[in-house]
Amino acid sequence: MTSTLPPTTTETTRRVDRAGRERPDERGSLALLAHQIRYEQLSFWRNPQSMVFTFVLPIVIISVFGAVFAGSEGEDFFFGLSGLQYYTPTIAAVSVLGACYGQLAIVLAMRRQTGVLKRLHATPLPAWVYFAGLLVHCVVVSVVDVALVIGIGRLYGVPWPADWLALALTLVLGAASFCALGVGVASLIRNSEAAPAVVQFIQFPLVFISGSYFPIHSDVMNNIAGLLPVKPFNDAMLAPFAHQGGFQWKELAVLAAWGVVGALIAVRSFRWDPRPE
Amino acid sequence: MTAVAVEGLLKKYGDHEAVRGVDFAVEEGEIFALLGPNGAGKTTTMEILEGFRHRDGGDVRVLGRDPGDKTDGRRLRGQIGLVLQDIAVEPYLSVRETIARNAGYYPAPRDVDEVIGLVGLEEKRDAKVKDLSGGQKRRLDLALGVIGDPKLLFLDEPTTGFDPGARRGAWEVVRSLRDAGTTILLTTHYMDEAQALADSVAVIAAGRIVAAGTPDTIGGRDSALARIRFALPAGAAIDDVPVQVSDAEDGLVTAEAEEPTAALHRLTSWALDRGTPLERLTVEQPTLEDVYLGLTSSYAQQEASSPSTERGSTPSSAARARRGRRPGRSRR
Repeated sequence: MTSTLPPTTTETTRRVDRAGRERPDERGSLALLAHQIRYEQLSFWRNPQSMVFTFVLPIVIISVFGAVFAGSEGEDFFFGLSGLQYYTPTIAAVSVLGACYGQLAIVLAMRRQTGVLKRLHATPLPAWVYFAGLLVHCVVVSVVDVALVIGIGRLYGVPWPADWLALALTLVLGAASFCALGVGVASLIRNSEAAPAVVQFIQFPLVFISGSYFPIHSDVMNNIAGLLPVKPFNDAMLAPFAHQGGFQWKELAVLAAWGVVGALIAVRSFRWDPRPE
Repeated sequence: MTAVAVEGLLKKYGDHEAVRGVDFAVEEGEIFALLGPNGAGKTTTMEILEGFRHRDGGDVRVLGRDPGDKTDGRRLRGQIGLVLQDIAVEPYLSVRETIARNAGYYPAPRDVDEVIGLVGLEEKRDAKVKDLSGGQKRRLDLALGVIGDPKLLFLDEPTTGFDPGARRGAWEVVRSLRDAGTTILLTTHYMDEAQALADSVAVIAAGRIVAAGTPDTIGGRDSALARIRFALPAGAAIDDVPVQVSDAEDGLVTAEAEEPTAALHRLTSWALDRGTPLERLTVEQPTLEDVYLGLTSSYAQQEASSPSTERGSTPSSAARARRGRRPGRSRR
């Protein structure tokens, strides 16, 4: 390690500069947010593993379902839709769930365990900017995932959604709610080794009873699942594809309520330090 | 000006009092070393100052602010830097990107390339973090600690695992930061490091400061007796030696003297008259390590016999101690 002392002149100006700019807020929170978003994106797109798993898995699933159900016409089993008309939005929904809730909970648990969060918390970066950066990242990933799934669905003959605006709103609200739940669950996970197991323990039954992989015709089941976060998201994603109108306000309200629950848990118990006091 | 003031600091983990009434002050512009065995309360004290942990009592001021006051936290965090023992960096960014990212978090950061030069990572500027060696990652960590141009820098065992050359280099960086006006509070297990770097030292044992001063005077080091050691010449008995010496240990006898010049003169005259050299002759003042071991040994025994040590409540400190004994290894 060689030391190169900075020249004395810059040293002096540097000190004066610091005294003159004591308040960290002067530069503007939006510029800081843009900075954080940029580097969060850079970290993600550089990591080949996370990219492959985030984008390849939904592609594989929709391709397999497409191969299995291609050519099916409107059937009662799929509520009068073709198999692919049903699966394109639900698989898209699963990919959003995975990218926001699952990935985020695991990434945060790992970053906490390795001390990345602790180091970050020692800088003046405000917590809200950090989480906003993660949210934007998750929305970007979700948009790419949904676009890939819809695109492949189109190749199998599924018509474009009838209401793009409803789809967009559902996607952003769903991504935000599942991000909040992801941070909430990350707050409850004690060590990162357990994170994938805890995440799946919650996600797998939810996806199952919410009709993501096969339609559910039990009213009792649907009523229960309708109060949990995944089925309302599925239904709100399905609507623009099923030509039964766009905005599903009731479903979106349930989804948003779950987002608030996740956010409250996160605010109350999120930890930056790997070792609790 | 006082950069850090600690008075009567208390911290409990359950029933165990990890820190029980610690007082010390770090003056602006100095290098202050906090020394102590594992589990003595060193890391807990540092983490309270860094704002990571709450205290149970006492008063703490860091750059005039209370690190426990969360409403003021952001401004304080803009003025301090820290280098922790665990290297925590995103693996897929380059060295420059990692430093530039953190630079953006601070109100008035240093120049990114200047900091890369300061820690000697110019050649690794565009290398991915995951491809760095353990020592290079530590240097990157140091760069992240100083990129915000801190007034106060915390260094937690900054050279653990460094090879001797890298340690000297790191010392130069720390000194140059001090000379540029940064106050530095460091912990270390290496007494030669404290001797070489620190303007002031304090020794913490069993949750209390047991001695404080400069490296040269702490624990009465400056007034301690000098020790003259040599091998007893063949055919000479202990009673033949013209100064009083202890029994032989490892083949060496020891004489103690307040001022060694006269005693040496008598010894060497005696040896020359006999025509036998004083083999393996050394004269030494007690080192900082001697003083440190003397100060902490009684507490170490006490701690070892106590069932609830700090180690019990901070599981990673044992791992840290393991790492400390295996130089050159890094966790990733």
